[in-house]
Amino acid sequence: MDLADTMKAVNHTFQDVSYQFKRLPGSSILLRYIKNSYQNDPIRSIVELCLLLFAVRYLLAPRYSTKQKPVDLTEREIDELVEEWTPEPLVSPLTELEALEEERRPIITGPTGPKVKLLNSGRTVTNMASMNYYNLINNDLVKERAVQILRNYGVGACGPPNFYGTQDVHMDTEKEIARFLGVPAVIVYAQSFSTISSVIPAFSKRGDIIVADRACNFAIQRGIQISRSIIRWYNHNDMEDLERVLAQVQREQKRKPLTRRFIVTEGLFETTGTISDLPKLVELKLKYKYRLILDETHSFGILGRTGRGLTEHQNVDPSNVEMLVGSLAHTLCAGGGFCAGSNEVVEHQRISSGSYVFSAALPAMLSVAAAECLKLIEGNPDLLLTLRDYTKTMRSQLERSEHIIVTSAPENPRILFTVKGYEHDERVMAEVVDEALTAGVLISRAKKVADSSKEWQYGPEVVMVTPSVGHTKKDLEAAGSVIRKAVGKVMSRRK
Amino acid sequence: MSAGRRRRSSSIIYMEPAETIEQRSDQEAIPNLNASWVNAKGAWGIHFVIIVVLKIFYDSLPGVSQETSWTLTNISYTVGSYIMFHHVRGIPFEFNAGAYDNLNMWEQMDNGDQYTPAKKFLLAVPILLFLLSTHYTHYDNAHFTINILATLAVVIPKLPWTHRLRIGLFEDSD
Repeated sequence: MDLADTMKAVNHTFQDVSYQFKRLPGSSILLRYIKNSYQNDPIRSIVELCLLLFAVRYLLAPRYSTKQKPVDLTEREIDELVEEWTPEPLVSPLTELEALEEERRPIITGPTGPKVKLLNSGRTVTNMASMNYYNLINNDLVKERAVQILRNYGVGACGPPNFYGTQDVHMDTEKEIARFLGVPAVIVYAQSFSTISSVIPAFSKRGDIIVADRACNFAIQRGIQISRSIIRWYNHNDMEDLERVLAQVQREQKRKPLTRRFIVTEGLFETTGTISDLPKLVELKLKYKYRLILDETHSFGILGRTGRGLTEHQNVDPSNVEMLVGSLAHTLCAGGGFCAGSNEVVEHQRISSGSYVFSAALPAMLSVAAAECLKLIEGNPDLLLTLRDYTKTMRSQLERSEHIIVTSAPENPRILFTVKGYEHDERVMAEVVDEALTAGVLISRAKKVADSSKEWQYGPEVVMVTPSVGHTKKDLEAAGSVIRKAVGKVMSRRK
Repeated sequence: MSAGRRRRSSSIIYMEPAETIEQRSDQEAIPNLNASWVNAKGAWGIHFVIIVVLKIFYDSLPGVSQETSWTLTNISYTVGSYIMFHHVRGIPFEFNAGAYDNLNMWEQMDNGDQYTPAKKFLLAVPILLFLLSTHYTHYDNAHFTINILATLAVVIPKLPWTHRLRIGLFEDSD
């Protein structure tokens, strides 16, 4: 009786449960689903059930962050940290050399040119410290045009090129430079320094590879740093070392995702004055499938039969250089810089090169002055011949001194020299510059940025001497003698 | 400088290391538009649209049984979403100076947070699709295995423990 009763109770309960279940909304669908899915295979049903349960668990889990949480500090710990902190001075105190330099800094009064008047002493000295090679700065034609443009266009565009900053004169200048170089397109930047440091990050991004010369100037190094690319250095102008680096990169990057690759170097190096071997660079670039970014800031308008730069000097077609960067502020005595290349290379920069997109356009006046100066160089081949003659004269003048080592290339009118035995002594160079100024010749030191990483301080300390066609042969000879004597005087003091 | 895509470990399984401060600041400079759209309403709805369109397409092919049609729909959806969320790393267009080059889209979503609504939704869709397909068909063992494997292939990489996990079977180690 007990058993029967129990059975009855169980049956009743089941019926009850099943009745209640059927009353639930959607229960028939669920039953039909289970019946359909079962398909005489309990394992499959278990798998499906597990999947479902897992999904439900996932859906119910609370959100959390995988980022590292900031450390929780107590009030006391914060106070202690604040107490411990001693702020660094905003400006570090001047070193002895800097103080000396600051004290004797020559200040020019009146217009600049081959001869300048100094403010502090009132003397007129020979200016061999500016890159006014063709004396275009005193050209009346350029001056007249500049004034005319100033009256028509005002002082500046006051807007980035993409926001009402582009004027017809900018486009004319771009066309003019493109025609002069024989390249499809040119883009003009507002500052010479920021041209290369903006061109590099416009193309090379994180994960891309840059192989650069160890002696590259500060602007290039900034550009490389901003680009966040992988950077490999090769020894200055050492093409064998370059090939070794390229081969090593090729080995390392085998079977890895393809990246953009660039070789970055200069035409005439700013820090050493040496000249690049472009044919070999182009050969290696083609062999290892790299793009070449060439900084011609100091060689544009100088090298080559007609001043077209390193490409003309070494008979390389400019189309072999993907990005050819030059300056309108050095030889052309105007302002700004440019990048020449294919239409794609130039148009890409118009919307993705930081310096072009975010800084105000080059003033119309400077743009026109640059184009005018370019025409003058092109129309007066004598200028180049005279400058070359002067460079030779000046070099031979300097080389007569036993203490002077000229490091720059013979073609380079920006003559750099160092003092034998004191190649890394900044102080000696500063004293030479000082002595020369006392004797009436203004020259300057090629300064470097002090940085702990050794790639950033390449080559010896140098003094820069730049002859100009505005000088006479006599000026050069006199200046040469003054500099030799200045070096001699500094050396005699050391002994 | 930056190590880029270089592997730092030679083992087959390794964890993508945390970003440098430089890389993090690049990541946080602007919202990651490559991953933020997954929270949009339309981005959720389109999954159902795509699945229905796929199903209709495979049904319209002559000689395709219901089983094959469901299997093809399931595989197409999982392969597509695997490529999109788990295979492609970085951002396909120029953005953030390549700050996300080492992370796939699933890891970029919601700033790397786990169990967010979008992630829950995207995990539920392939599971739901699989359960639906088993309901409407009579899979034989082969069909069932293919479908469950396809589903697991997109479910496993979505789990929190696979965050930044890399299995380097085909990668070079240096």
